[in-house]
Parts: sequence; C-alpha cells; structure tokens
Amino acid sequence: MSSYDLYLISPYLAVAGTGLLVVLLDLVFRRKGLLAGVALAGLALGLLLTAVQARDSLGLGGGSGLPNLAIGPGLLAASLAVDRFALFFNVLVLAAAGIVILASVDYLERMRGNHGEFLALLLFSATGMMLLSAAAELITIYIALELTTLPLAALAALLMDRNSSEAGLKYLIVGAISSALMLYGMALLFGFAGTTSVEGIAAALLAPAQQPVPFGSYAVLAAVALLLAGFGFKIAAVPFQMWVPDVYQGAPAPVAAFLSVASKAAGFAVLLRVFYTGFGDFDWHWGALAAGLAAASMTVGNLVAMSQTNIRRLLGYSTIAHAGYILIGVAAVAGTSASQASPGSLTTAGPSSVLFYLAAYVAANLTAFVAVIAISSRIASDRISDYAGLVQRSPFLAAALALALAALIGIPPTSLFIAKLYVFSAAVHSGLAWLALVGVINSVVSAYYYIKVIRVMFLEPPAAQERIHISPTVWAALALVVAATLWMGIAPAAMLGVAEGAVRALSGVAR
Amino acid sequence: MGLEFPGLLTATVFLPAAGALAVLALGRNDRTARLLAALVALADLALAVLVFAGFDRGDGAARFQMVDRFTWFSAQTLEASYILGVDGLSAPLVLLTGLLGLCAVLASWHITLRVREHYMWLLLLQTAVMGVFTSLDLLLFFLFWEVELLPMYMLIATWGGGRRQYSAMKFLVFTILGSAFMLVAIVAIFVSPDVGTFDMTRLLAPGSGLSQAALALPLSALFWLFFLAFAIKLPTWPLHTWLPDAHTDAPTAGSVMLAGVLLKMGGYGLLRINLGMFPDQTRQFAWILIALGVISVLYGAVVTLRQTDLKRLVAYSSVSHMGLVLVGVASVNVAQGQLTAAGLNGAAMQLFTHGTVTGLLFLAVGLIYDKAHTRYIPDLGGLAGRMPLVTIAFLVAGLASLGLPGLSGFVSELLVFLGAFRAFPWATALAVLGIILAAGYVLWMAERTLFGPGRERFAHLTDASAVEAIPLVLLMASILAVGLYPAMLTGVFQAGLAPVVAALNGG
Amino acid sequence: MLENYFRQYGLAAIFLLVAFLVPVGMLAGSWVFSRLGVRPAKPSPVKDAPYECGMEPIGGPWNRFNFRYYAYALLFVIFGVEVVFLYPWAVRFIQMELFALIEMAIFILVLAAAWAYAWRKGDLEWR
Repeated sequence: MSSYDLYLISPYLAVAGTGLLVVLLDLVFRRKGLLAGVALAGLALGLLLTAVQARDSLGLGGGSGLPNLAIGPGLLAASLAVDRFALFFNVLVLAAAGIVILASVDYLERMRGNHGEFLALLLFSATGMMLLSAAAELITIYIALELTTLPLAALAALLMDRNSSEAGLKYLIVGAISSALMLYGMALLFGFAGTTSVEGIAAALLAPAQQPVPFGSYAVLAAVALLLAGFGFKIAAVPFQMWVPDVYQGAPAPVAAFLSVASKAAGFAVLLRVFYTGFGDFDWHWGALAAGLAAASMTVGNLVAMSQTNIRRLLGYSTIAHAGYILIGVAAVAGTSASQASPGSLTTAGPSSVLFYLAAYVAANLTAFVAVIAISSRIASDRISDYAGLVQRSPFLAAALALALAALIGIPPTSLFIAKLYVFSAAVHSGLAWLALVGVINSVVSAYYYIKVIRVMFLEPPAAQERIHISPTVWAALALVVAATLWMGIAPAAMLGVAEGAVRALSGVAR
Repeated sequence: MGLEFPGLLTATVFLPAAGALAVLALGRNDRTARLLAALVALADLALAVLVFAGFDRGDGAARFQMVDRFTWFSAQTLEASYILGVDGLSAPLVLLTGLLGLCAVLASWHITLRVREHYMWLLLLQTAVMGVFTSLDLLLFFLFWEVELLPMYMLIATWGGGRRQYSAMKFLVFTILGSAFMLVAIVAIFVSPDVGTFDMTRLLAPGSGLSQAALALPLSALFWLFFLAFAIKLPTWPLHTWLPDAHTDAPTAGSVMLAGVLLKMGGYGLLRINLGMFPDQTRQFAWILIALGVISVLYGAVVTLRQTDLKRLVAYSSVSHMGLVLVGVASVNVAQGQLTAAGLNGAAMQLFTHGTVTGLLFLAVGLIYDKAHTRYIPDLGGLAGRMPLVTIAFLVAGLASLGLPGLSGFVSELLVFLGAFRAFPWATALAVLGIILAAGYVLWMAERTLFGPGRERFAHLTDASAVEAIPLVLLMASILAVGLYPAMLTGVFQAGLAPVVAALNGG
Repeated sequence: MLENYFRQYGLAAIFLLVAFLVPVGMLAGSWVFSRLGVRPAKPSPVKDAPYECGMEPIGGPWNRFNFRYYAYALLFVIFGVEVVFLYPWAVRFIQMELFALIEMAIFILVLAAAWAYAWRKGDLEWR
C-alpha cells in the first residue's frame, strides 16, 4: 500500500473516518448539535478530496490527466476505478448527504437523542455508495453494496416505533434476498469468465469460444438477470419495489430522502458500470430486459401512486416510476445495433442521459423531501389532507414543494424536463420510440397525482392557522436544492457536458 | 416605424413574467398589485404594437424578423437554441396577446380573493403565450406550451366558479396529453440522423424540409402526433369536451385568455408546424381535416343553440368558429390550378378575429354575470335599457361572429369559404350552414337576454364602470378596424403564408 | 478454461452426491437392519425427543430467549472477527513489517470504537 493508494481512497477514508469520529464524539459530548457540524465538515472534506482527484483526472494544474486514476502501480487497479464516472457520483452522493443532514436538524428532535447514530450511519452508507460507483470488480461491488444497505436498514428503524421497525426489517430482508440473488449471478459470471474483474469479464465474453460453452450465452443472460435483480432492489424498479412504500412511510423522513436519491444514484452507477463495461460489447438482450423493467416500473409506480393519501407513500411510488424513466436511458444502449449515424454519439446518449437524469432527480426529489421533512417535523403528519392551505401557513415551503412536484412531472423550466427530454431522445435514437411514448404517457398520468398535492396546498382552506416556522439551516438546504433544480432546467449545458464526460470513462461507451 | 431594437421580442415575452415577480414582491396591498399589473400589461401591449408595426411587409423582407438568437445549451448529444422571431403569421398574434392581456387584467379589476397571486398567474400566462407565438426553436416552443398550463390551471381552480376543480383538472389532463404526443414528435425530429436540430428556421426553410430527410418516425406519424396536440387545443370535435367546462367555470379574465389566445395556440401550431413542416401530409390528409372541421362547425353550432347558460353558449360557439380554422387549412387540397393563399389567410384571420370577438363576448357575459348574478338565459331579459354599453359590445361581437360585413368576422369567414370552396365545394357549402346557425343563436340569445320587457329585479343594475369599459371599447375598436380595413392584417398574414403556398405550388 | 469449469463443478457435484448419500444411506441401513431383525424396534419418549446432548429436554422447542443475549452475541462477534484477522496477520507479520503493524492498529482501533460505543450506551450492563 503506497501513499498513492491512500490518495485514491482518500474521499472514502475521509467520510468513513468522520463517521467513526462522530460515533466517538457522540460518546463524549453532551451537546448533540456539534455532531452535525462534524459530519458536514467530513462531507466537505470528502468533496474537497474528490475535487482534487477530478482536477488530476482532467489534467488541470499539473495533474496526471489519467482517465482512470487507479490504473497504474498500486494495489487498487484491479478493484477500483477512480474515474470521472465515479467522481460524478461521489459529488452526487456527498451533496445529497449534506443536504439531508442540513434538512434534518429540526427532525432529529424526534429521534430521542440518537443523533450520533443517525449521522454516523448516514456517513457509512454514503461511503458505501461512493465505493459502489467506483467498484470495478464483483467482490468489491458486493462489499460496497452491503456497506450501503446495512446502515440504511438500521437508519430506517431508528425511530424505534412500530412503523419504523417494520421499515427497517423489510428493508433488511428484501435487501438480503436481492443480494443473495445477485451473489448467485456473480457466481455464474465468475464460473463463466474465471475472473471477478468487470473488465476481465468483458474480455472473456468477447474471446472467441474455443469449445461450445455450456448453455451458451444463456448462462450469462441468467447471470445478467440475477445481477439486475440485485441492482433493481437498490434502484427500486419493479418487480423489486415492494419494500419502497412501507420503508418510505415508516422510516424517518430524512432517511427516506437519502434512500430515494443517493441509494438510487449509486444503484444506477453500479448498474451502468457493470453493464456497459462488462456486457457493453456482448449482446443486446439486456437492453430489452431493461426496457421491459422500465415500462413496468413507470406504469406500476404511476398507477398505484394515484390512490395514495400519504405524501411519503406517494413519493415512494413516484420514485419507482422515476426508476422506470431512468431505466429507459439504460435500455437505450441498443442504439449501436441500429447504427445509422456516428456510433460514438449513439452510445453516449443513453448512459449520459441516465447521469443527467440522476443529477436532476436528486435535486428535484430532495426539494420535495426537504419540504416534507420540514413540514413533518412541525406538524408531525404525512397525510396529504393535512397539507391543506399550506401556502398560507408557509408560502416558501408550499412554493418549493410545488416546484418540486412540477419538476417531477417534467414541466419546464425545471431540471427534470430537460432530463426526460434527454432520456426520451436517447430512446427514440435507439429505435425505442415505443418506450419513449410509454414514458411520455406515464408523465401525463403522473401529472394527475402530483397536481392533486399542489391543489391541496394551494386551493383548499388551511387546516390550522399557525404559521410553520423553519429553521435557517433547513431554509438554506431548501434554497440550495431549489436553485439546483432551476439551474439544471434553465442552463443545463454545464451538467450535460459533465455527464457526457463522465460517461466516456466507461470503457463500454468510449470507442 | 424603425422603433424596434435588438431584444425587442425577448422584452415582449419576458416583461409580463418580470411583472409577475414584481407584483408578487411589491404588491403589498391589492390596489398596488392591480395598478402594477395593469401598468405591466399596458407596457407589454406597447411593445407588442411596436413588434406589429415594425414588422417589414415588403416583398424582399426577411421571412423571420427581429430574431433574438443564442445557443441555449449545447452538448454533444443534446443541443437547443433560444430563438425568438416573428413572421407574418405570428406578428398579429403577438399583438392579439398584448391586447387581450391588458383586457384580462382590467376585467379582473374587481376580484378580491388573493389578488396578488391572481395577477402573478395572469401575467405568467401572458409570457407563456407570447413565447409560444414567437419561439422558433421546437424545444423552446414546447417549453412555453407547457409553462402555460399551470397558470391557467390555477386561474380556473382558484378563481373560477361551479365545478372549478374538476374543470381545471380536465383542462390540464387534456392539454398535457396533447403535449405528450407533441413531445414525442419533437424528440423524433431531433434525433433523426439527418436533422439533429430543434431550429425551426431551418426546419421550415423551403427545399430543406423534412420530406427528404431520413426520419426516426414516418412523416405522417409526426404529422398526426402534432395534429393531436393542436386539435385538442383548438379544439376540434371530438376532442373538445374539456372546453365548455373550462370556459364555463373559469373566471372572466381566465375565459378571455383561454378563448382569446390559448385556443389560438392550437390554430397557430396547425399553420406553423403541421402546414409549415408537413405541407404534403397536410394536403394528403386534407379530407380528414375538412371532415373534422365541418363536423366541428355544425356540431358546435347546433349544440350552441341548445344552451341555456350564457357562458356555456359562448364556449360552444368557440368550437364552431375554431372549426372554420380547420376548414381553412384544408383548402390546401385544391383539385386543379394554383393554390391561392385565400383559405389559409382566412384561417389565420379567423384566429385573430375570433380572439377579439370571443374575448369581447366573454367580457360582456362576465359583466352581466357580475351584476345580475345569473347566467341562466331564461332568468335574464331586458338588460339593454340598464346596460347600454354592454349591450352594444355584445351586439358588435355577436354580429361579427355571424359574419356581418363591416366587422372583422366577415373578412375571415369569407376568405375561408372562398379558399375551401375550390378544394371541397360540398363540404364548404355544409360549413356555410354553420354561419346561418350562428345567426340563429346570436340573435336568439340577444333577444332573450338583452331585449324584451325589463325585469323588476334588474332595475338597479348599472352599466360598465370606466375600468370595465376600457377593454370593451378597445376590443370593439379592433373589431371595427379589422372589418373596415382588413388589409391591415391580411397583408401581414399573406407575407407569413407565402412561403408555404409557394412550396405547395412548387411541389 | 472450459475444462476447469467442468472440473470445478464436477468436484462440487461429487461433494453434493456424498452429502446426499451419507444420510440416505444411514436411513436406508437402519431400515434394512430392522427388516433383518438385527435392530430391535423399541420406541420410547426419550428416543422421540429432539436430540440435546443426551440430556432430557426441558420445556418446548419454541422457547423465547431474553433479547439481551443478542447484544452480547453481537459483541462476541466483534472479538471473533478480530481473532479471525489477527491469526493470519500474526503468521505473516515478519514479511510485512511496519505497514502491517499500522494497518492492524487501525483495525483494532475501529473495533475498539465499536466496543466503546456498546459500553457507553450501556449494553454491557444487565438490566
């Protein structure tokens, strides 16, 4: 282990170390307010180190300019890929964790003094997510996935009431089942390729077969399906979605927020890396599989969301639907087979639309959740009917939540409008016009239930008159995500460029 | 005139939005909010007049003028530009939007519920509609098209009457469904390997049209996807069912904007995109268009006759009159000889005319309802003696809509029929029946509500106040002006439609 | 590659077969012996009871345990994991020198943090 290896894993070390520090400080200090500050500082340090790595990866300021910093001498070349793709997700996860911590300052009072646990577990889970996006080898992926999932299960149960315990247990059990399925898929792949490295698997799949392979490529397809089951749990796609509504409703609101954005982003990160790098050149059946999952997720999520009366359940089903929209971008890989124009641009559009969508979704969904956290830490209710007349009790919260819901529909000029456009155009580009149409019609359907919430907030008489006070940190968090949502909708060029650049680090894409 | 300046269109489009923010920030009391909104609307009307007057109608003039253009965002796989510009087709509609925007602000002078918010939505709506008429980038066009939804929804759902939430949701679902189809078409055009742009100035350019390009979807599929969106907005039978509900339950200002300019977005889309980008498909499917158009005209007129709610009556008459736009567009399918611009010109004129006429009708109905507290026709009667100005306005608008010579409706309807007759003589003859029915319902309605013996309970009614009178007079003046000197508009529309007509004749 | 593939799965298959044959063989043998009359059939309640190291079972099999045992079990896992890693580390320590010492110190510190957490939160006290 050289100092270069330490530099490579420094963002992860910073965040995990801060988590450990928070645990210890929690034992020593009585003032719990300090802990959030320490956690935020740790996240900022992680962000800073990520920025340093990004600078080096881009070759700015005397950096090496290596697309993947981990390639070279050192222990980590085989298991980690510290490239712009991973760095993109580092930033996304760190920002999401920071916003969630900022927003939960008021909410923490409901956690009976478990501040330290909340913050530390959040940081550990964030570490897992960052590792997940950088993992380039099956065993590392598995460990990162477990590091992500286990703290989240504990977090979900942290309120220690009936619903919260149910949420934690459900998340744990469904997570265990899906990771078992995924392990089986990994075993099949290892048996087939004789290596756990994703790059090695790609090479083994493409090597001309010397003898007939048992079950041919169908064994690999089975492995792909099993892997997809494991990742499908993380991204909350149908049919691995049944934990979503209960966990979103029962878990502490900040945990649900973190689950809905960061966990999903990390799930898509590993999905893209494994599928594009590992199976990018192999065959396109998994594109059809992703298309099927996308259509199912969108439709089921949206249809069930319509009848929800609890805002967090509604957002839970909405997140299933959005997993479907994002999967459209994953499915759009098939474009290469229909190569009409330059192949390079075809393969970039799909995954980079996924990245842009994720960034946009993180901003928009966090806006919704921060507002929900702020409201539920004051009125202690998540029923949509209790949001009646919110505009008169707190215009800023109501406007922010309305903006977030409009963004989730995909109404311009918000981030998700550009994101949906991007995803759909990638799909049409790959000859998946039908999937784009399904997506568009689903967006229409989703407008119904999002607008219903806006209507309750703006048009119905308020249930209570007293104003909802929000503390300055929550206000700041909300302002940040609102600004991000609008920024990516009005001036998306910067984020589009970053997404395209990040995606080119995936070896299945760049050629 | 030479008064136009770079960024004029941008200013015209975004001034109301800035005004909306200003109203929200500064309108501490209702009076300030009202005055501020009126000021903004007036300033925007002035800008719109500048645009219209500054539009160069000369023969050698550029097709798109006053273009504001910069790259909005450009990445390797997705790029769009911010392009605003007017041609002969959109310049009059910009003027119409400015005019009706001011009228809507004045028409809602007396509301007391959440005034600040009301004006904010109203002004935002104006920005969206202005944007639809001037944007020359498909993505920008779609963006404005969508932005219009939420303000209108809020206007109907908050300040409307009757089943306002149901109607607002119905309006929203219909329109969003239409725009979903449009989005697919727009995306398909963009990702087509030979196109790769949202830039309408390039897509509309003669000779480099879409017909030769390799496309992600067939041309006729694109045509129908766009058509669905615009037909819902127009609205065309059988997609019109949202309109009577939305109009009836909307507040007066909402109705004015909805009937006056929002429906025009549908007609504008038909002329600009369906006809402009798919001229051959328009010709190929003209028989469907005229069938839908004639059914809309006749069905709308017959249903209008049966209405007992004054506002619903005006709403259904809109279905009938917007059907004429379709009839006009269908005129491109001339059996023999050169295509003249008459029918298309009539369709475009009908957009402007119907905007002013229906706007005026809704204003008058709104005033009657405000004062008499009923819109039920059998309850009304003998209002002429009490409200002379409103009566005059009502009659001017009604007579214009049935096509009395000297008023604007006559010009547009005549042009539509002249053009369409050369393409579909029998169908056009049927559509003319709609005008006769219009004479029936307009005169019958006037007789039942305005004339006849005065009622005891209406004895205390007062005429329109000064503020209420301004929009009435403005719109009456515009109806008369266009009726007496139609060349003011036809010349401009002609300039806008000439490239399409030339393309159709050349092809 | 392919031969290895089969060879490795073949070993697994043989193992599986043996694992299957042993219990089945015992049951079958028992049955055959009873048929032959070598094995007498004398059922008694003790024989029917679940096997518990020869002791007579006390209470039903669905006993509930005190929840606190789990906390203790988890704490034991901490030390179990520590030992699992310490053994190979100690065997190879000479070759890895200072670096390995620091690594293991960090590892033990992390475990100590977990233990300190349990201690301070009162999980070591029986209440």
